[in-house]
Amino acid sequence: MSDMLLHRALEVSVEEVLEKMFFIQGLEGPESAASETRVVARLTFEGNPSGSLSLSVTGAAARSIAADFLGEDEPELSEQQIGEVICELANMICGSVLSRVESNTIFRLGAPRLLEESETESVSPGATDSTIHAVEISNGALVVMVNTETPAWSTVEKSAY
Amino acid sequence: MAYRILIVDDSPAMRAFVRRVIQLSGFELSRCFEASNGQEALDLLGQEWVDAILTDINMPCVDGEEFLRRLSADEMLRSIPAIVISTDATQQRIARLLSLGARGYITKPFLPEDLRTELEGTLGVPYV
Repeated sequence: MSDMLLHRALEVSVEEVLEKMFFIQGLEGPESAASETRVVARLTFEGNPSGSLSLSVTGAAARSIAADFLGEDEPELSEQQIGEVICELANMICGSVLSRVESNTIFRLGAPRLLEESETESVSPGATDSTIHAVEISNGALVVMVNTETPAWSTVEKSAY
Repeated sequence: MAYRILIVDDSPAMRAFVRRVIQLSGFELSRCFEASNGQEALDLLGQEWVDAILTDINMPCVDGEEFLRRLSADEMLRSIPAIVISTDATQQRIARLLSLGARGYITKPFLPEDLRTELEGTLGVPYV
């Protein structure tokens, strides 16, 4: 039940953030090759439970997402701007998920940061038993993974919806 | 009447997004200032008057909560309405920020019209 609740919160949050803030509709089941260059952002959070959220997106999709968010043409964007937007996307999804599952507690988000290529191996569908949601968007795939330090919500069942 | 707005957020991408959304929403904007944390915002407010402030919570140096405390403690600045923009939609957090002096609270993700409605409501802009 806990895993299902977290997965549902993650699914709804990804969909809502992409639609409202990026004007993007994601499709289930990414088809992009795992070997594509990816932009990966991660942030930690403290609360009940604590943990981390990682977001991985293919390079072309990251550029497209950043262009939509900033209202700029893709060729005009710098790598720094793309990284900042992907960090903000991770931040919004994390806050949205936690607001759903930690609705009775105050949580604290860490600052999102981009990962180096050597740090990104674990962020792909099926790589761990963490809660993962992946969608296909224009130009590639977006994968979000949530890790919690302890089994989520073992004592209090949250009403997320 | 056009308004002067200050956006306080440590993310340059988010500041750019909020500025663009305000402009696209049709809100009457005469000037938009930006600061990357509460201290920068307070420094700027020492030199420029604004009609409303849009602020994030999680920021380095002076975060959103401390920024609101300092605004409320300042006789000159406490009348400027501050609206929080945050990913945190928990009732405890919203109540805490409102008790610190925030006049409004917008949770991310939001639609452009949500931001305009909150800004106009806070500023008492008459509905046309």
